[in-house]
Amino acid sequence: MQLRSPTPNLLALGSVAAVATLILAGCGRSDRSDSALAAPPETAEAGFVSYPTSDYIQQAPGHPGGTLRISTSTDTAILDPHGVSATYIQWFGRLVFDNLVYLDTAGVAQPWLAKSWDISPDGKTYIFHLRDDVTFSDGARFDAEAVRLNLEHMRDPATRSTLAGRYIAPYVDGRVIDDFTFEAHLSQAYTPFLNVLAQSWLAMLSPKQIRENPRSAIAAPIGSGPFVLKSYQRQQGLRFERRSDYHWAPAFLHHEGPAYIQQIEVDIIPEALIRYSGLSASQYDFTFEAPPQNAAAIRANSTLVLDRRIRQGVPMRGLTFNTEKPPFDDVRIRRAVALAVDREGIVQAVGFGEYQPKTDFLAATTRYYDPAFRGVLKYDPVAANRLLDEAGWTSHDLNGYRTKEGQRLGAEFLTTETATPSPVAVALQSDLKKVGFELRLVQLPQTQITDHRNAGNYQAITAGVWHTNTPDALYIIHHSSEITTPARIGQNTSRLRDAVFDDLVARARQTSDPVVLQDLYSKAQRRLTELVPAIPLYENYTFVAYHKRVHGVIFDTSHNTPIFTTAWLDEEDRS
Amino acid sequence: MKVIFHRIVWRLAAGIAVLWGAATLTFITINITGGDPALAILGGAEAVPTPAVLARVRADYHLEEPLYQQYFIYISKLAHGDLGESYRLRIPVTRAINQQLGSSIVLALLAGGFAILASITIAIFTAHRAPWLRSFSSTAELIASSMPGFVLGIVLLLLFSFRLQWLPASGQHGWTSIILPTLTLSVPLIAILTQVLRNELEEILEQPFITTARSRGLSEVGVRLRHALRHALIPLVTLSGSFFGMLLGGAVIAETLFARQGIGRLVADATSNKDVPLVLGITMLAATIYVVVNLMVDLLNTAIDPRVRTH
Repeated sequence: MQLRSPTPNLLALGSVAAVATLILAGCGRSDRSDSALAAPPETAEAGFVSYPTSDYIQQAPGHPGGTLRISTSTDTAILDPHGVSATYIQWFGRLVFDNLVYLDTAGVAQPWLAKSWDISPDGKTYIFHLRDDVTFSDGARFDAEAVRLNLEHMRDPATRSTLAGRYIAPYVDGRVIDDFTFEAHLSQAYTPFLNVLAQSWLAMLSPKQIRENPRSAIAAPIGSGPFVLKSYQRQQGLRFERRSDYHWAPAFLHHEGPAYIQQIEVDIIPEALIRYSGLSASQYDFTFEAPPQNAAAIRANSTLVLDRRIRQGVPMRGLTFNTEKPPFDDVRIRRAVALAVDREGIVQAVGFGEYQPKTDFLAATTRYYDPAFRGVLKYDPVAANRLLDEAGWTSHDLNGYRTKEGQRLGAEFLTTETATPSPVAVALQSDLKKVGFELRLVQLPQTQITDHRNAGNYQAITAGVWHTNTPDALYIIHHSSEITTPARIGQNTSRLRDAVFDDLVARARQTSDPVVLQDLYSKAQRRLTELVPAIPLYENYTFVAYHKRVHGVIFDTSHNTPIFTTAWLDEEDRS
Repeated sequence: MKVIFHRIVWRLAAGIAVLWGAATLTFITINITGGDPALAILGGAEAVPTPAVLARVRADYHLEEPLYQQYFIYISKLAHGDLGESYRLRIPVTRAINQQLGSSIVLALLAGGFAILASITIAIFTAHRAPWLRSFSSTAELIASSMPGFVLGIVLLLLFSFRLQWLPASGQHGWTSIILPTLTLSVPLIAILTQVLRNELEEILEQPFITTARSRGLSEVGVRLRHALRHALIPLVTLSGSFFGMLLGGAVIAETLFARQGIGRLVADATSNKDVPLVLGITMLAATIYVVVNLMVDLLNTAIDPRVRTH
């Protein structure tokens, strides 16, 4: 799922909070940490980043009981996972719902509510053999009809799905073969089907709720998961109670029976400074969004754990070129601009040293990520200048900008209106000025940005990330069929139309052979570094922090967000 | 009596005109800023709705109708008290507001009440007193009234919550959690009210009737409380219209910073998410309260100050 460039904070509270944190840190402990403390926990073998398998599987049984208190930054608004595309569904879904399948750490689908499945040779028919011992918290039985109703609910226009419906777009219809066997028909082979079925946005709702009152799922969804949503106070928080009869966690987790923690309280705390202070003052045990500016202080605190993980999918892009309009219809200029960006500086400014700079187009944790093309777009102002010379922009005006036939080299960059321009936009502007390129920042309200975006009416526009558990993210962001038309909204904002790239990612959708897939996706990644549809900036992370009294926290293989089915509390440790 | 009745009717009619004007202006503003409302409803640029979903939303919200027709539908619904459904929360706007209103009212009453009591106390004790006390007080007021709310809030947090650990930083657990938001909201108000009140008091204390009262042997405190204060309150009552505006504006910051439920935070969220019906609903609520408060101020002025009645 996507998230735009770093969320503009109300009245720039964030920066004040950052300064305030420094003052606060000055009062007591030093905010500095040595590099050993800041060392990333991941192993980056030849560029591909993975985390220990033990982070994803229960290591030892825990003690039951207790209340886990969590803080999170954003209000949850709509809780029907099928009706919303927001990021909070990633943690919310793993508490309240189950899915048909679960991915292992290699990204391969494993059983969950579906015990097994058969796929026809043409890849268009999936037969799911379902568990027969699963119930929803309203007493409804999980069965083949429940699966059918859920898929219908995802694509029902009344659900207003902004993600799930699109992810199952190739789904034509389904047939209930018997109580616990379901057959799904697709219009074409679509290998990401099992991957998306593992994501929380495609979790299973109670069939009773879908039949009787689907709208009630917006505020009070009913699932079959390890926890039950007891109450939701808007802008305040959510309360969960464990289900004592739960015993169908994915086998991959190595966890039997119900969750250990009795209750979970999630409070919505928008301000980063307060989430940090609430954690360090033991008002909370856990925060879903640890502030990067406090990362060093959290690491230096012996009672706290900081965990950051690169999210799978498309990493943070600072800017997307419109490849259909001058000057960025010239690939030399796109490449020159990408080469002129000093990512180290930007990462320091926005990530407080916590983010990994990025020069290619797939997150390093994504299956089939190929690090071979990392060097192609590395910071190289000399090469950038050479490319711009080659493109004919050889003379300079009085302000130092390049010109050709009396025209200044430059472009407008549409960004979302905020009180102060985003530090990323300003850094891009000053880096490009050094090679004689004038980037003019144009701030507009979000609705107008969306209009320009859909009309293709821009030279460059803000980009963001797209997190999903499959390299099919490349198709979603860069395939020519994903260019917005009057009938269909798409995410290809660079308006890239490249037959070679299109063919690679389209064929990958039809293929299940891992060797062929590696080859196709490697070529697609390489092609993108040649086409330069956007400026990749840095890897995007999940950033959680918690007290050491919380044990057994594991992470979701789909989105690297925490899972609490296996977590437990050391009550003696609570101060 | 007839004069007062006339005044009420006139004020109410003007109030309805203000509401209609506010509704129309907001409608125009939203429609000239552009942007596809269907996409705003579906969550903006991040959404990838299928064509069927887009078509459904356009039909549900009459987005294919001409603008004048949309305006007509909107005004007639409004006249029936129907504020529509929030885009982002997908619940009726009235319910969304009702869920948050209580918490805001409690905070506003506490902050407003505290501000009035504190400013009266400070003004009475500093008007025409030793120059050092007076200048100390007015310097403090100047700083407090010009300090942005979120800076004040963070300073209070750093001091009382993080450093001294006396008060909770966030949430709504127990009565202690409302102290810092109340202070954040009321300190700038106290500063402004005290300045106005003291100036007024000082002017009144020069008046001949005060000398008369003093000559009757009344104590200084008695003079100030019984004679001067009543007169000094008139500008304070007139100020309470903008006083209400400051409370609402301050609530946006206090509620967001301290993670409290409330209308201020709701409107901040609705604005950043382009939740048009919710913004409209809260605008109408604010306009209604403004009209009612002004009517009450007017009546109160009439009761306190006999000169108004004869005009």
